[in-house]
Formats: sequence, structure tokens, C-alpha cells
Amino acid sequence: MEELLETALAAALTNGIVAADARIVAPARAEYLSVRDGVPTALTSTTGSGLGVRVRTERAWGFATVGELTPSAARETARTAAKLARAAGRTTREPLRLTRDVGPSSGRYASSLRLDPFEVGREEKLALLTEAERGLHVHRSVKSGEASFRAWTEKKWFRSSEGSAYASEITHVGAGVTATAIRGSEVQRRSAPTSFGGDFGQAGWEFVRALDLVSRADAVGREAVALLDAPAPPEGPTTLVLGSDQLALQVHESIGHATEADRILAYEAGYAGTSWVRTEDVGQLKYGSPQLEIVADATVPGGLGSFGFDDEGLPARRVPIVHEGILVGLLSSRESAARLSLGASGAAMRAEGFHRTPLVRMTNVNLSPGDHSLSELLEGVNEGIYLETNRSWSIDDKRLNFQFGTEFGRRIVDGELGPLVRNPIYGGMTPTFWGSMDAVGDPSTWHLWGVPNCGKGQPGQIGRVGHGAPVARFRNVRVWGAGR
Amino acid sequence: MIPASEARTILDRLFDRLPANATADARLYSSGWGTMRFAVGRIHQPHAEKLRGASLRVVLDKKVATATSGDLTPAGLRALAEDALALARAAPEDPKFPQFPGGSRSSTIDFSAATASLPIDRQARIAENILAGASSPDFPVRVAGVLSTGYEQWHVGNTSGRFTSTRRSIVGANVLVERLDLDPPGSGWSERAVWDHRALDGEALGREAADRVPRVRPGTAKPGKYRVLLDGPASAKLVGELAYLGFGGRGWEEGWSCLRGRMGKRAVAPILSIRDDATSPLSLPQGIDFEGTAKRRTPLLDGGVVRGPVTDLRSASRLGRPLTGHAPSPEAPGGEYGAIPTQLILTSTDQGSWEELVKEVRTGLLVTRFHYVRTVHAGRSIITGMTRDGTYRIERGEVTEPVVNLRFTQSVLGALSTALLVGKARRCYTGEDDRGNSSVSAGPLALGDFRFTSATVF
Repeated sequence: MEELLETALAAALTNGIVAADARIVAPARAEYLSVRDGVPTALTSTTGSGLGVRVRTERAWGFATVGELTPSAARETARTAAKLARAAGRTTREPLRLTRDVGPSSGRYASSLRLDPFEVGREEKLALLTEAERGLHVHRSVKSGEASFRAWTEKKWFRSSEGSAYASEITHVGAGVTATAIRGSEVQRRSAPTSFGGDFGQAGWEFVRALDLVSRADAVGREAVALLDAPAPPEGPTTLVLGSDQLALQVHESIGHATEADRILAYEAGYAGTSWVRTEDVGQLKYGSPQLEIVADATVPGGLGSFGFDDEGLPARRVPIVHEGILVGLLSSRESAARLSLGASGAAMRAEGFHRTPLVRMTNVNLSPGDHSLSELLEGVNEGIYLETNRSWSIDDKRLNFQFGTEFGRRIVDGELGPLVRNPIYGGMTPTFWGSMDAVGDPSTWHLWGVPNCGKGQPGQIGRVGHGAPVARFRNVRVWGAGR
Repeated sequence: MIPASEARTILDRLFDRLPANATADARLYSSGWGTMRFAVGRIHQPHAEKLRGASLRVVLDKKVATATSGDLTPAGLRALAEDALALARAAPEDPKFPQFPGGSRSSTIDFSAATASLPIDRQARIAENILAGASSPDFPVRVAGVLSTGYEQWHVGNTSGRFTSTRRSIVGANVLVERLDLDPPGSGWSERAVWDHRALDGEALGREAADRVPRVRPGTAKPGKYRVLLDGPASAKLVGELAYLGFGGRGWEEGWSCLRGRMGKRAVAPILSIRDDATSPLSLPQGIDFEGTAKRRTPLLDGGVVRGPVTDLRSASRLGRPLTGHAPSPEAPGGEYGAIPTQLILTSTDQGSWEELVKEVRTGLLVTRFHYVRTVHAGRSIITGMTRDGTYRIERGEVTEPVVNLRFTQSVLGALSTALLVGKARRCYTGEDDRGNSSVSAGPLALGDFRFTSATVF
């Protein structure tokens, strides 16, 4: 692999190309097993290998990729990347500026696994999914059940013309169950451990076993059915307590994406959008209440956003983003950090596989726990709503106006969790919402969630990121029910 | 691209590796793409890729499994067959999985070899033309967008003797023009997707987005119900949402489709018809689906009346419905929506010019496009999202002032039930999918009732 990387770099460094890096992924493997209503609807195994070459002139980048690992393909791909950079350079006179960070010349990183999910027998995996899925069908109103498992593993070799080199092998797994109960046009879904495929981590099959899907299935099915008869939540501003999984999604959408430096620099303006955070805001913007502490930490063990080195070759870092409610840092790359005068890159450049160019990506963007138990959070609430497990999410292109729906909600009455509510939605504006957070759950309520489906970039890339979140309480949040 | 003769040999090799009691279908694909992504007025992320691969779905004693691989060497194909078989052996039975059909027909479609292999310099030149067209002499702007161009080709074979092929050429572009000297800032948008790059005028596309940029500071608009004129991108997005919520085979199987139980009944305004037609040059043509079924015109809504879901082999068998040729890519088998329409075309008996559409709305809002649209309640077709890049007030039958963006929460069927008039000028839109795996060919759409639930500050 090293020879092929050298071949690519040598071919790239021609005629105006001042630097290059190359990544080989060989192989990238994925497995997706899904059982719906007793029948496998997806049993898929995927393997791929290839090379991505990124180059730069004094003014512009170029990236080319090929799904073939031969010297001639490497040379041709490198030349194509160079041609792209030269063509792109015609559109600007501004020089590219990068931080001076360069990674180690021989780094290694590997996920810590007890049971390699690709070595575990498929019979065992399918038996677990089949049993868990069967457990969802507790009532005739459960019209559909699904249990699914996903695993990815990627062996990667990286080398840059600036002397950085590393090899890594990262494995991610996850699983979940979902029951769909239907009566007339009313459709209720309930999932565990959370929605959209469940929970994910950088771990082995032991992670899936620990999710205990079989034991959870019965309650999931019953809750889906019970939700069919639940009333809509009372409409209006109220006290909202968010469960850990929904708070993780809230962090993802309204803090994670908003603090990506490339969005702030408008590099994503045409697609995902920009940010309400401005280039001059670091160190002074009040993002939320003083209880808000956010850290982007790529070094957390087991996180979907953990790695040894980013795709610019830099070692993983822990970057404070919000401290006591004030914005203090950003997710950044060598280029975006230089443009924003951040000093050093946040080492957050990651690409999907070999076939996409690195982008600024969330790592594990975590909300630090506070010191309240869940019952303490509820104690002070005479009338409010508790919500968990995302059902729908939408936010504007500056990450300000958001509206999220959840699968599950309960009224809070006199400091205790009360009856179920159906189709709950809450919405607001990012700084107002985070400013209204007046209590944060303690470490016992904190969980590091894996989000395997973060879309960004053109051509599209799916990123896998992590979010640690406790439960938390927010005052005066607008809540209502869908379809009222 | 992979020549048909080579493809047939590779697929035969794959099938030869299967035991006698196995049946299978397989896909062999190749693609080449160039992407010129631009932001802050320059090309900042140019990208080129060449990929090939194969996927094999085997049925072994009623057990079904799929494996895919990017390795087309003999060793790679051997590993692919072994992987699929091993997975199938472990699988629970799927007793209703149908037999693979024979027949090797591919619909005749338009294709541009020049578009499929557009040189890098030519791609960059089109992007430069877009940037030039978007630069207004009247006020400072920030320009971003993308040009994607390339081809996809796939061959499909199965153990019932099918061997068929298709290829598609695509160029899609969009451009955002932001005016930052206003507070709140304003922006304009334009997009277009075609199968032949000669139909794309980059400079005109850029100019069109610049023309939509507000000339004065956007005002406020209160949330509430409005008559709306959805310009092409917004109209296409609304129609496209029905692909998932209404016409997907899986939604009909499981009972959560918003159109289930409404077969033969009116679901939207009688002036609207929607069909799926990947053979039409109005769409991004492809001759077959990923199971090798020939593409054809499939009516979905006819004069507002529901004509049924689309299907692939599996859902057709389960629903007892005709096979329509909408098998999804093997990378997304049995995904949340299963078979879904991918090349929608909106037509209407009542069509008008832009001026007539604005007059029809009389008092309301003009929406250029939607952002971050998500399902709130599938069974009731309720979605939410934001307006973006050009929201204007319509008063006395004229477009007057720009307004800040609004969030809508609205039933798709409810909105389409109030359709008043459809624009004559249509265009093919791919929205967020710059590879054109799905598209909607539509004109602007005037609606009598659309609910906005909150506003943002820009």
C-alpha cells in the first residue's frame, strides 16, 4: 500500500501542484441485516477498495478517486486531481492558507473490539434480530416490526507529501428495533434504544449484545400501541425536559452543524447552508445558558466520532466549543482554521471511504453532564412535557429556526412523569432555546450516542459521528401536537 | 463503461459459481462523475471519480441475500459469490419471494456520450459561466453552487436468462446568489438538470438566480395560512414528497402510505396528474431498473385520482400488483421506502404563464424553494420545512416585497388538493440529489391554501 501511495504522490506533484495527500481504503466492508415481520428484507454485505488523491496548487484544491488499486490507476487519478486543481485555480487569485499542523510520520490506530462483528456468525446475528423483531408484535395493532444491525470496518493507509503518514482500522456497529402501530390514518412508531436504526458505537458485537434488544422489544411494542390512544400534548409554551437521545439530536443539529468552520466560511452555502455563527464570534458569542458546556472530543473511547488521525493526517483532538454558555471554539480543518485565525486545526477533517474528499465533520460533540438526577429535574415542574426519541427533525439553513418531533412524550404533572402524549412537536430558535436551559442531568443520565447518518457535501457523504448527552430541562418552549 | 459482451461474461462467471439449487440476479455497474463545487465565488471542491462494481442477489432454498463488491477480478467475483451464498445460508426463509423473470428488454432512451465524458476544462468553463452570470453589477454578491456531470451504466442479468443494460448521462447545476449588504440578507436560487449538457446555459442559470435576489431589505411575514405560488424547485419538492409518502410499495405493504385505501379515489385537485416516466426526455432517462425491468410510463395520479403504488419484484408479489420497474439500487435494498418512483412528471389540465400564476394567487407568498423538508406524520402526509433563497409577498396579483423565511407544516395532499394553476414552463429538478437518482419535472404551482407555522429572522 505504501508503494501505491508513493506512486500517487509522485504523479501528483507536477506542474504547479505544491502538496498532495493520498488515502487507500482496502477494504471497506459493511454488513446490513434487517428483519421485518419475520422476513429478512435486507441481508447485504458490501466490500470495496480504492484510492483518493487530494492535491493543491497555491490557490486551489483538486480531488480524484478510483475504485482500483493499481499503479497505473494511481498515476492517472493523481494527474486527474492535479488537472482539477489547476482548473479550479483559474477562478480565484486568493492564495490558499493553511495552518502549519502536520501529523506524525508513522501513526497507527485501531478500534478496541472484543468480538469482531464480521467474525461473529451470521446465524447468531440473525437469530438475535429475529427474536427481537418477534417480540415487538404484542398486539394486532402492531402492523410492522423491524430489527436491524449494521457494521462497518475500514482499513486505511494515509500519506502526505508534507511527511505525515498513518494506518488505521476502525470498526463501527449498531442495532435497534422499531414497532409500527397503525389504526386508520394514525401511525405510531416506537424504537429502542433510539430511532433510525438504533444506537451505534466504535466497538464489536459485544456492543450489540449489550443493547439487549430482545428484552426491550415487548415494551417497545406496547408503547407503540399505547401511543395510538394518547391525546395530543397541551399546546403552548411550557417546561420541556428532553431525554438524552433527543438532546443528542438537538446538539447535532443546532450546535454541531452550526459550529462547523466550513459552514461559517460559506463553503457549504449552496447545499446544507451556512450558520448563524459569524467568523468573529469565537470568544464572545453567548450561545446558551451558563450551564451549557460543549466539547468536540475525537478521543473518547467507543465514540462513532473517535479516530486516531483525521484525513489531513492530524492526531485526534479534544476541542472545547462552548464554555459556560460562551462560544469558545469550532470544528475546523487546516484551511478553515487558518482563514478564521484559530491557530491550529481542530483536526475534524474526515471523508467517507476512499471516494470522497475530506470535509469538516463533527467528531463526538458532547454536552457535558451537570449535577441533577432526572427526578430532581422533574421536581420543580408543576406542568410540563418530557420528550425522547426523535421522529422528525428540520432546521433552517443557518441553524436557527428548528422544529423537532419525537416518538415518545409524557406530560409532567406536579414534578412527576404523567400520561403519554402523541405526536409531540417542539420548536424554537437556537440561542433562545439553549438560553432557556436551566438544569442539566448528572452523569447517570449521560449517554454517548452514535449517529450513523449525517449527510454533508456534494457529492453526498454520509458521516458517522457521536454525541454524548444527559437529560436537560428547558423553560418556556413552544410545544404542540402534529396534525391537530 | 463496461462493454455488454464483457459484462455478460462476468455475470455468467458469477452465476457459474452458484450451486444448482440457487437462483440469482446480478448487476454490474460503472460510473464516472465530475463535480465542480463552487463557493465564495470560486471553485473550491472539484471532484472526479471512476467506480465499478457488482452486486449479486441469491435465492437459496427460499433464503435471499445480497452481496456487493468493487472487485471485478476473478478472485473478487469468487469472493462475492461466496459472500452472498454464506449470507443466504444463514438467512430466515422469505417464502413469498418471487421467481426471477426472464425477458431482456430495455426501453429506448436519450443519452449523450459527450455529456457522459465532458472534459475537466469544459466542466470548469460551465462553472465559470455560472459564476459570471451570477455576478450582478448592481450590488455585491456571494455565489455558491455545484455542477455535476457524468454517467452511470448498469447491466442486469439473472438465472432465468435475462441480460439487459442501460446507461444514463446527466448534468445538473444549481446556483445560490447571496446579497450580504442587506440586513437581513437576501438570496436567490436557480437549478436545472438535463441529460444533455448542450441544454444547460450556465450563464443564464447564474443570471436567473441573481435576478431572484431581493433588491430591498426583506420584510416580515406572519405565520398563518396563505395562498402560495411555489416556483419550480419548491413545486418539485412538494410533488417529490409524494414519492415517499404515497407511492412507495413498502408504505402500501405496511399500511402507512398516505394513499393506501384510496385506489381509484380522488386524492388531490382534479387539475393535477403525476406520472413516473424514466423513458421521457423530460426526466433523466434510464432504460431499466436495478432488477432489469424495462422502464415505462407509470400513471400515479390521473386527474387527481390515485392509480396505485410503484413496485419491484418483491413488493409486486406481496401486494398482488403489476410490476412497474422501480427496484431500488442494491445499496439500499428494502430501505425504509422500498420501491419508490424516481422520475416524476407533473402535468395539468390548467396551465398558465408566470404572470397568470401570480395573478391567480392574487394575495399570498411566492416561495422559490424549500429547505430541510422532513416528514412529521406519514399517514397524514404532513411535512415540515423552511422556505429559502427568495420568498416574496404577492399583493394585488403582483410580486411586491421580499420577506424573511418561514417554516411550513403542511399536509402534502391537503396542499395539492387546493391546486389552482400549474406553470407552462417546466424544468427537471433533482433537489438535493446532485446525481439525479431521483428527479421531478414540474412547473411552478399555485395553491389556494398553505400553512406557515413560524418564521425565522433572515
